[in-house]
Amino acid sequence: MSDIPVPRAATEESRIVRLVLILLAVGGLAILVAAPLIAVFAQALSDGGRAAVASLAQPDAWEAIRLTLIVAAVSVPVNAIFGIAAAWAITKFDFPGKTVLITLIDLPFSVSPVVAGLCFVLLFGSHSLLGSWLIGNGYPIVFALPGIILATVFVTFPFVARELIPVMIEQGRAEEEAALTLGASGWRVLRTVTLPNIRWALLYGVLLCNARAMGEFGAVAVVSGKIRGETATMPITIEMMYNEYLSVAAFSMAALLALLALVTLAIKSLLEWRYADQLAATRRH
Amino acid sequence: MHIQIDEIAKTFGATTALHPLALNLPSGALVALLGPSGSGKTTLLRILGGLEFPTSGRVLFDGVDATGLTVQERRAGFVFQSYALFRHMTVFENIAYGLRARPRRTRPEAAEITRRVTKLLDLIQLPDIGQRYPSQLSGGQRQRVALARALAIEPRMLLLDEPFGALDARVRKELRQGLREIHDTTGLTTVFVTHDQDEAMELADLVVVMSMGRIEQVGRPQDIRAAPATAFVREFISA
Amino acid sequence: MRIARSSPMPGFGLAMGITVTMLSLVVLLPIAALILQGASLGPSAWWAAVSSPRVAAALYLSFRLALFAALFNLVFGVLLAWVLVRYRFPGRKLIDAAVDLPFALPTAVAGIALTALYAPNGVLGAALPWKIAYTQWGIFVALVFVGLPFVTRTVQPVVEELDREVEEASASLGASRGMTLRRVVLPTLLPAALTGFALSLARAVGEYGSVIFIAGNIPLKTEIAPLLIVIRLEEFDIAGAAAIGLAMLAISFSMLFIINAVQIWSRRRIGLV
Repeated sequence: MSDIPVPRAATEESRIVRLVLILLAVGGLAILVAAPLIAVFAQALSDGGRAAVASLAQPDAWEAIRLTLIVAAVSVPVNAIFGIAAAWAITKFDFPGKTVLITLIDLPFSVSPVVAGLCFVLLFGSHSLLGSWLIGNGYPIVFALPGIILATVFVTFPFVARELIPVMIEQGRAEEEAALTLGASGWRVLRTVTLPNIRWALLYGVLLCNARAMGEFGAVAVVSGKIRGETATMPITIEMMYNEYLSVAAFSMAALLALLALVTLAIKSLLEWRYADQLAATRRH
Repeated sequence: MHIQIDEIAKTFGATTALHPLALNLPSGALVALLGPSGSGKTTLLRILGGLEFPTSGRVLFDGVDATGLTVQERRAGFVFQSYALFRHMTVFENIAYGLRARPRRTRPEAAEITRRVTKLLDLIQLPDIGQRYPSQLSGGQRQRVALARALAIEPRMLLLDEPFGALDARVRKELRQGLREIHDTTGLTTVFVTHDQDEAMELADLVVVMSMGRIEQVGRPQDIRAAPATAFVREFISA
Repeated sequence: MRIARSSPMPGFGLAMGITVTMLSLVVLLPIAALILQGASLGPSAWWAAVSSPRVAAALYLSFRLALFAALFNLVFGVLLAWVLVRYRFPGRKLIDAAVDLPFALPTAVAGIALTALYAPNGVLGAALPWKIAYTQWGIFVALVFVGLPFVTRTVQPVVEELDREVEEASASLGASRGMTLRRVVLPTLLPAALTGFALSLARAVGEYGSVIFIAGNIPLKTEIAPLLIVIRLEEFDIAGAAAIGLAMLAISFSMLFIINAVQIWSRRRIGLV
């Protein structure tokens, strides 16, 4: 029997190095991520739970929540449909310019939300030809709901497509081709073969898209005109209340959005854990 | 270098990879560890190389206990099944890696490193590929570069894990001869793992047949062929 | 459609139609509006607007602090990816999920939360010896927060797929663990880390919501470029806003271009293509 202590494995760091790295990681995340999250709830509850709930029952707060839900209810399905269409075109067919198309779909990720909002103001604002004509005919885009929805669709544009494309590339075309040879129509193939195969990746994309849609601030701040009770979404209302030193009200609404973020993360982790194999392609890109 | 394995056993959690086994490998021998997958042959090779540590037992190099030596201290030239070449380094940098890893005191000078790498490239008969990247080489070339890289550290022994496993049949035959020649030139005790009995029988001086973490038979190829010790050996070498 | 005929799959026209129409209406047309508006200024007027001290200071500030934050996230992100994949410790799964919080938390929420923490009377602000909120440090902290997940999430899958034999080969050639990490592991992670760095940088340059609450917004000192666009719009200075917007667009696109080139180069070097 050997009584010489076993040296550590060739691909491991020493105990002390591991300990230091783990502490750095955990400590860093605690300060950078956990602390702000706790701060939101602590500030919201600083006057007690009743004050927090009461501040959310104010008409302006209520109107902001309603507006945010409407914006998400329109922009998320629009992006889901776009994502499915784009992924179908890109993964099931070969055509020139495919790489350019993928780059263009990703473009909104590299544009500042404020610049995105600015683009819509320039296109539809009252000083532009198109904008003044639309306003003249009673269809204002900027400083109104359509502008908020457009800006939200812009900033969330790549979310669903980005999740679906790698998954659908990995799955190939064989199953769809098999269904076609069995006499299925195109819609039937989409409904009975493709969608079941991509459902978790789709849900994943929709989830992230929704979180961003309900929380978008920069782009909406520019296009909405911040009209209280009319075009003020939840994040805009947070800013207004915060600037008016209504701390509890601002943080209560922030806590509501933070809860949404936590639920989003929980479902997302569940999906990653439960359907790791079907999402694997997504994580690699 | 003479390698002595003294009642080595290895368990991974609840599974036993190696039952206590003893083995003597004479200095300068070319030894094959032969067996099906799961027989423990790779685990034994990795224990010799210091990549795995035995649960009990000792390894002696030239009579000196080497069980507690780290992989860096072993000076075993190890050739991996995947070759494990560094993708972001040229062939030259790959081969020079072990020399440059030495502490400053024993590190050769740049000119000396160049001289040694050039000599090794000649030995593997690929003198002109120093500036290429591994991704630009064929499978056979990669295997030979891995061999040269292992030899560069002036190892005390050469350990090879399925050295021909990833190659097609034609290249395989060619490189068997190459390994034999390199072994004869360097005189290093050489141990290779294989599941291919033809390869073991043709190439090795000494064949160790393993199954289920136990040694079934140790002997020269002709002796094993003439007198298989167990039913397993008979079955396996006739397959 | 002629191209579709080469494939037996139906629906090319419809799918492509939806894709191109939406892309044009929602993304390309608005961006074109900005470029046209910017171009209508003419180069000299544009340059005059962008090179005025206040605008130049804002652009420089946004870019410089985004770079610092992305560099911080590069180092911390690689560390985090390594720890999450290679080490086992209690709470690892929770930490792994927490990395994505900055993606999920609305920027305005992050902004007021960070301000509450780092303000002089906040928990961390009171504990630290120097001022964070309402200084450039505050902007840095906010940009680190929003860019935190990018590097970790791009590097993590690469660490998972690292070939252990390569690390073992390095060790068997006599390299210490430190040398193996420096010479073998880190170069392999580099392309993914650069991708994450680029994404983090692009995000930080244009970030608005999380920054404006903590920045203090003092012209020439802590006023970021996106905020200046908002201010110009509030002053009904459409041309001024468009000039800054175009400059930011140009910075984003050229960064995207440079980083793609660097990435292709580094991937080619380690033989991934």
